[in-house]
Amino acid sequence: MQRSWHRVRPALMEALAILIFALFMVPFFLVVLNAAKVSVDIIDNPVSWPKAWGQLFTNIGLILQNSNINYWPSFFSSAIITVCSLAVIVVFSAMAAWVLVRNRAWWSNVIFMMFVAAMVIPFQVVMFPLVTWFRQIEVVTGIRLLRQYLGMIFAYLGFGSSMSVFIFHGFIKGVPLELEEASTIDGCSRPATFFRIVFPILQPVIVTVLILNGIWVWNDYLLPLMILGSGNMAGAVRTLPLAVQSFVGSYVKQWDLILTATLMAMLPIIVLYLFAQKYIIKGMVEGSIK
Amino acid sequence: MRTKNRWVNVLFLFPAVFAFLMVIVVPFFVGIYLSMTNWDGVNPNVIFTGLQNYTTIFQAPEFLYSFLATTAFTAINVALVNAVAFGLALLVTSRVRGRNVYRAAFFVPNLIGGIVLGYIWQFIFNNVLPAMGRSLGLGFLQTSLIAKANLVVLGISLVNTWQYAGYIMMIYVAGIQAIPASLMEAAETDGANYPTRLVRILMPMMASAFTICLFLTLVNSFKQFDVNVSLTNGGPATIFMMKAINSSEFLALNIYNTAFARSKLAQGQAKAVLFFVVLVVVSLIQVWVNKRKEVEM
Amino acid sequence: MMKGVFSLRKLFCILLALALVLTSTAALAEGIVLSSNKVEIDGALKEYATAYEAQTGKKVTIDTVGGGADYGGTLKAALQSGAMPDIFVIEGPSGYELWKDYITDLSDQPWASDTDVAYQVDGKVVGFPVAIEGYGLAYNADLLAKAGIDPASLTNINAIKDAFAKLDSQKAELGIDAVVSLAASVTNGMTWVTGLHNFNVYLTGYLPYGDTSVIDQVLAGQLDAARFQAYAEYVKLLFDYSDQAVLLTGNYDSQVHAFATGKTVFFHQGNWTDPNLAAENVSFNIGYAPHAFLPEDTQSIFVSPPSWYVVNSQGANIDEAKAFLTAMATTEEGHKYIVEGAGMVPAFKAVKQQPTGPLSKAVMEHAASGDIYSWQQYKLPDGFGMNTLGPIYELLANGTVDIAGFTALFTDAIATIPTL
Repeated sequence: MQRSWHRVRPALMEALAILIFALFMVPFFLVVLNAAKVSVDIIDNPVSWPKAWGQLFTNIGLILQNSNINYWPSFFSSAIITVCSLAVIVVFSAMAAWVLVRNRAWWSNVIFMMFVAAMVIPFQVVMFPLVTWFRQIEVVTGIRLLRQYLGMIFAYLGFGSSMSVFIFHGFIKGVPLELEEASTIDGCSRPATFFRIVFPILQPVIVTVLILNGIWVWNDYLLPLMILGSGNMAGAVRTLPLAVQSFVGSYVKQWDLILTATLMAMLPIIVLYLFAQKYIIKGMVEGSIK
Repeated sequence: MRTKNRWVNVLFLFPAVFAFLMVIVVPFFVGIYLSMTNWDGVNPNVIFTGLQNYTTIFQAPEFLYSFLATTAFTAINVALVNAVAFGLALLVTSRVRGRNVYRAAFFVPNLIGGIVLGYIWQFIFNNVLPAMGRSLGLGFLQTSLIAKANLVVLGISLVNTWQYAGYIMMIYVAGIQAIPASLMEAAETDGANYPTRLVRILMPMMASAFTICLFLTLVNSFKQFDVNVSLTNGGPATIFMMKAINSSEFLALNIYNTAFARSKLAQGQAKAVLFFVVLVVVSLIQVWVNKRKEVEM
Repeated sequence: MMKGVFSLRKLFCILLALALVLTSTAALAEGIVLSSNKVEIDGALKEYATAYEAQTGKKVTIDTVGGGADYGGTLKAALQSGAMPDIFVIEGPSGYELWKDYITDLSDQPWASDTDVAYQVDGKVVGFPVAIEGYGLAYNADLLAKAGIDPASLTNINAIKDAFAKLDSQKAELGIDAVVSLAASVTNGMTWVTGLHNFNVYLTGYLPYGDTSVIDQVLAGQLDAARFQAYAEYVKLLFDYSDQAVLLTGNYDSQVHAFATGKTVFFHQGNWTDPNLAAENVSFNIGYAPHAFLPEDTQSIFVSPPSWYVVNSQGANIDEAKAFLTAMATTEEGHKYIVEGAGMVPAFKAVKQQPTGPLSKAVMEHAASGDIYSWQQYKLPDGFGMNTLGPIYELLANGTVDIAGFTALFTDAIATIPTL
């Protein structure tokens, strides 16, 4: 009895694993399946096999040409915002965290606690006043933030810094001070010590910060809506989630094009995941434990 | 040397702290002020009205309901996400073949934005499942889960679990892997069966992972917005305190709708401030409870 | 130490690229900006703007806000960001009240005398009618003929009741799933059909065009008990004979699809569905029956501009904006855009083109013969129709409440109607 159970159990586990795997993947499968149909066929039967897979490319073509979605400009705006935001978040949060760890004083504690406490603040509390405040900054200083890359990236630095400083802080605490002391003795200035010695050591945790913030920034909807607005004017900065929502949210619901649009919105990040999967998983695990 | 160090400190702290102050701290206080005014976003003459917006909110059944619905959702969701995530973590750390593929796959939904994901699931709930129900003759599939006021919260929770469990799973996996294998093996040699080992050894050793996961899911559930807006848009309708209201309009969406759809910007801001207060209280309780538990163990 | 992904050189390259992006602020639109809220005409409007620029040298940028985003909120954000458009849209008094400091008097414009439906305040013309739209109880004439029902007889509640019952009994012969295609789901955002368009049946049905007595009463927190009872019974009738899947979980597409494929005889929608019906290759004949909820006879459907363009009085391009609107209303190209490009029913008498969509044609005919009731639902406070009334309709649709419960919830909602 005991013996046969030992043989059956792995098989059962495997069947269960495959079942759960299928459940997790079915939604993606359905998206692809229906993105290859015309709207009428979807309403008729959403689980049928597409009549011709060529329709998928027809639909993709329609999305690429759609003046409301403006796919490529939206894609590049999203990419620019994501890359630049990540760069500033990583560099400036690491710098701040390093200073906070290496200076044990009342002020470093206060600043650190402020960053940590802010993680509780829901975006809803600041989203309406943020726009008014950015406008005030423009009136007083003449620096345009709203509807600009600058304002968008600046806002992401502000919102991303608290969690990132927290993660870097936890990691840097574990970096032995001897390394830095040695470099100081060699005559390196403090900034040079940071950029030459400390920053490269941070690599694993930088991956974590990049991934956590990257997924958030790429997919974010409300903050771009506030800063960039929801219009589809030519030449304006507009992210992919905004474009998808403005297309999908309209009264006319064409599931064929909606599903194609969602497919095209998630494809870039899934492709990235396939290539950088090892880093992403490792980064997530190490980040969450710290 | 010391003064030079001080300049480096200031210079290094400045960008992050400055952005943080400008983007979060200042708007936060501006927001508290605006919640006590008649601000409408257009008229520049903002008049201070004291706590009037707050008293109005407390008299609105729709806000009370939204609060209760969000609480119910949070309770269901925290339980569901963590149970599923822990189960998945056990699965991908077992000796099952292809565990690394599974681990990678379970994480994929977490890469996709809530807006996009909500539309996909709306399509599944309202089109795919009823179509399957019709062709298989299964009655219970034919009415959409998110079209029923008493089940819609569960529907949103299922979608959130699908999205979030893979992420939480990763944290549990790390917790499991941090436990020395010798410990579990020793217990196995001593004749402890699997459930006993799980409850007696594995779970207590992972207390900190549970703290992190509960905290993350709790805050995430309470702040739910993207999926809410695209999956159900607050619907379907239900009756509460003799008023027809939206049964799945959670707090974040209620705040958004108050400010925009109903054009009551200052009232929406007041709701947001209350939302913040509740989140602070919930978070403090959570941390306190978990710290105490860790000490006991 | 310098190995790895994050070498100093790479870091500096990133920072350099970043500096370039940050200093290159996105160009603000030159010329005039028109902010629109009709996604379905976005392409046609942009085309017209391009042609207008080619002809006049004046650049017009079209900024369309999708239905998913809130238009009023977007305008507020635009104002705050210092990018208030030169031409924007108002949908009624709440929009006018909010934006009146930004609205220009257009009484002296040449098109102002060419239309009956401009937005007027105190005798002054301030809004340019975007188009005319109309809705009623659209019917599939072929199916009615097959069932032996004369559409011309559908002029009062008793005739409609009889027709519904007769059609329902012949479902199998006619090959239909249900009698009516109507969607009421909050989730799918269909409460604009119930909470706004259908409610307007109560507000203006059987009243002279432009009569505001019932809406005034509603805004004062009152319902006319007898009128509302008849209306509520009519709503219940529509719901009872509706395709339940479409009614409770359907979206706009599935509502159109049910009617377009001949699965229902009636269709609670307006002439904006013409392109959708055409996309489904509809070949049967279509007409409009009235929402006749009283025993008296009527033939009228509900016709009005859905929204008006207004000119930003604090903008820098007031004259250019006025010229653009004038060109749209008075030139051949403008007329072509309205009717052929955007497929809309024109609000101006000078327009010669005829729309080709069957429902648009029907709306034109009703407008010409004067068989029309007005739209007053746009006078409801922001969000009231869709967010407060919409859920009540859904509760009646899914059977949570009966007519008495529906009336009680409605009476209570109207009694606590917010002021503008």
